[in-house]
Amino acid sequence: MIGALLLLAVAATLAAGTLLAAWLDRRLAGGGGIASLAADWLAGPVRTEAPDDMNRRLAPAWYLALAAAGLCVVPFAPGHAAIDSPAGIAIWGACEALTVVVVFLHGWSPNAPFPLIGAYRYAAIGLPAMLPSMFVLIAAALPAESLSLVAIVDSQRGAWNVLRQPLGLPLFAVAILSLTLRGPMDYADGADIAGGTSAEEAGPARALWQAARLAMLVSACAMAATLFLGGPLGPVLPGPVWLWLKTAGMMAAILALGARIARPPPARMLGLVWTVLLPLSFLHLLISGVIAL
Amino acid sequence: MTDLVIAALCLFAVWTGWRVFRVDSMVRASFSLMLSFVAVGAVGVVLSAPYIGIATIFMMAVEMMVMAIFMVMFMMNPAGLNPMVMVHQHRVAAVAGGLAFAGLAAAVLAADPPAARVATGTDTVAALGHELLGPSMLIFETAGVTLLATMVGAVILSSRRGRFGPADDGSRPPGLEPGGPPAGRQPEGGGGHHHHH
Amino acid sequence: MTLTIVLLGAAALIGIGLYGALSQQSFVMLMMGLELMLNGALLAAIGLWSLALGGMPEGQLLAIVVMAVMAVEMAVGFALVVAIYRKRQADMTESIGTLAG
Repeated sequence: MIGALLLLAVAATLAAGTLLAAWLDRRLAGGGGIASLAADWLAGPVRTEAPDDMNRRLAPAWYLALAAAGLCVVPFAPGHAAIDSPAGIAIWGACEALTVVVVFLHGWSPNAPFPLIGAYRYAAIGLPAMLPSMFVLIAAALPAESLSLVAIVDSQRGAWNVLRQPLGLPLFAVAILSLTLRGPMDYADGADIAGGTSAEEAGPARALWQAARLAMLVSACAMAATLFLGGPLGPVLPGPVWLWLKTAGMMAAILALGARIARPPPARMLGLVWTVLLPLSFLHLLISGVIAL
Repeated sequence: MTDLVIAALCLFAVWTGWRVFRVDSMVRASFSLMLSFVAVGAVGVVLSAPYIGIATIFMMAVEMMVMAIFMVMFMMNPAGLNPMVMVHQHRVAAVAGGLAFAGLAAAVLAADPPAARVATGTDTVAALGHELLGPSMLIFETAGVTLLATMVGAVILSSRRGRFGPADDGSRPPGLEPGGPPAGRQPEGGGGHHHHH
Repeated sequence: MTLTIVLLGAAALIGIGLYGALSQQSFVMLMMGLELMLNGALLAAIGLWSLALGGMPEGQLLAIVVMAVMAVEMAVGFALVVAIYRKRQADMTESIGTLAG
């Protein structure tokens, strides 16, 4: 019974969150919004020469599925998650890693130049950009002494992780930008390569891909709220409401942030990720470990 | 029921593993291998090893992405959407593979292993953690040192900077007398494929 | 019964991996064959640990060791491929019939 309710909550959160994200995207980041999703849906498809049809059709669905799987491990009330796995945080890590693969396949499958360039650029930047977020996840598990997200939420009853692990949220924000192909980390679908992995795409596939990006934003922000802002913890209001409020706040912050930071050239970003972000994440792990002791 | 799920996952792992050597495209091959690993990881999750299973999935997702990048670097047909075959000693390899499978399968069918399942309710993730980072930490330390040595070795091997200049210029040692031919033994001939760019 | 299925699957993976490692000309494909054999080893280790050995803690470590081996194999393998390519513009096994030079 409660399991069905939680699954329903995941589906509803993903659907409502995607719509909210589209609206916020239009208000805060100059994105297309809901109307452009609908317009994309109604357009006709684009054909390319000798594409890999299976992956081309499946990539948006995989992206959406990864967003849903990631949201399934998020506790909606203290002690309750749709998938309450003892390795919940590793499941989210797997979703992050597979996202890079899905974005690459999305760009590779049309067999056309711009999407392929987007796919290679994203593989080069998205992979190392994911590494700091792995250390952030490990650090978040330290005070809870568990890989279960339910335990991580419980460990934040005294103080939220955002206070105990000051570097965590900024580092995770970079991972969110990279996972959702946004702002400074948008090396896959950037306007400088005519839309990158989505350059040769129109119709329902394009609408679904854009919706999946927004859905991934919802999941990643819910995960950030769970890891650093206490998730469903909070006074008076019931747990799910707190989670929704925090997630919406994170979404607005990420969208505003993404729209305000310029995107450096890929080579410079690659250097930045390996020589600044990765050492920072080691430092973060050290600080979190010392504080957790 | 569990049997059915596991049989389906094993079949999927074997089928995708077979596809690795049957598809034309390098990218398809590496992601086919990834699917094989994902299926094995899922078997791990079903067989009450959630951390091992999920760790397999995320590690292999990263590894196969790297694999795909290297394929693109080294193959003459990067996007790989055109057919091609690159095999040698095909018959020998097929016989060896078949024999390995037959031998191992015979051993599996002939053996009578104990039948002690994991007790329900065991926290296998915590058990793994205690075993890995418990009093001795032997495996953790060994793996850590091995991986460190690997990293150093891999960086040195793949570095462009050779002992006598850039590796792709041959990294020739200086001559014994000024302006003379490079010292040391000369490699005979190049590798072969000079023209696939 | 479950264990037999798992082990037969592992045997098949090892057989296919061996075929691949012996038959492929490209270094990268050859490494995929090795990876597939390690995949079979991983499957067998998980199956035996879970279904035959009653989940003794040391069993999971074997799986961790297999994963470490895969990581080492990938890193060293690709480093060697890069080194050989820089030296000889070769990415096929036939091109390095001799180890000298």
